[in-house]
Amino acid sequence: MKPMLDCDAVMRQLWDYLDGELTEERVQAIREHVEICGRCHPQLEFERTFLGVLARVRREHSDPGRLRERVLSALREEGFAAGV
Amino acid sequence: MPHELVTRREKDLQFEREALRWIPDVTRFALSLARNEADADDLVQETYLRAYRSWDQYQVGTECRGWLFTICRNVFLRTRRRESRQVTCDDPELEALAAAGVHAAAAQGGQADVFERIDLSDALERALDDLPEPFREAVVLVDVQDQSYDTAARVLGVPIGTVRSRLYRGRRVLQEALLEFARDAGFATGDADTGETGGRS
Repeated sequence: MKPMLDCDAVMRQLWDYLDGELTEERVQAIREHVEICGRCHPQLEFERTFLGVLARVRREHSDPGRLRERVLSALREEGFAAGV
Repeated sequence: MPHELVTRREKDLQFEREALRWIPDVTRFALSLARNEADADDLVQETYLRAYRSWDQYQVGTECRGWLFTICRNVFLRTRRRESRQVTCDDPELEALAAAGVHAAAAQGGQADVFERIDLSDALERALDDLPEPFREAVVLVDVQDQSYDTAARVLGVPIGTVRSRLYRGRRVLQEALLEFARDAGFATGDADTGETGGRS
């Protein structure tokens, strides 16, 4: 049986864990630690909520249709014949 | 129809299918780089013109969105006549540990649940605008555009370790800015948590 990770090891890889950048084995090890750790669990939730807020910051164009038409128009001048 | 025209037509349909579908994503990325709509429009148009001219070099089926982001960033850097500023590449693991410090400070200040309790979207947009470019690019690609570290590294032309350290530093700076905003706005639960109970290490 493998020894459980300590908090320091988990903290070092928390972002990788949340970003889905770890192997399944490592994910499992971190999950097992976080589920029972009173120090790492609140931090995980803090970071997860922050990433959720950040992911919603999607700056949108005020007139995407006009921009698409502008791009198509420029492409047609290059000979592009689809996109209609 | 002459063979050359058929080939051209196929190429255009392929470009439409593979590249034009990403206009909304490229637009968002351009807006994050240029920070104003007029410049972003120019950037998107130039990105697609260059992509079309270079389409023969694109390998169909590979990550077209990442390829378009790379072109977009290169056009941006060229039009601004500047290179991406070199920043010190700190150890990403140390940056990850520093995040624990931000959380501890938030918990001690009664702000552990600040991201859940108040709408910080405007403050976050401003903080993102203020973030130095190398950090902003990493944050936008990974956190806003949902790209992997590997794709972000290819778009930015840097090693994955550099993406990680820029990303983690960027996130930390954003968190600190948001916590400061929340403090200034008078937000604190008054129920401070030391965040130290039950730690394993």
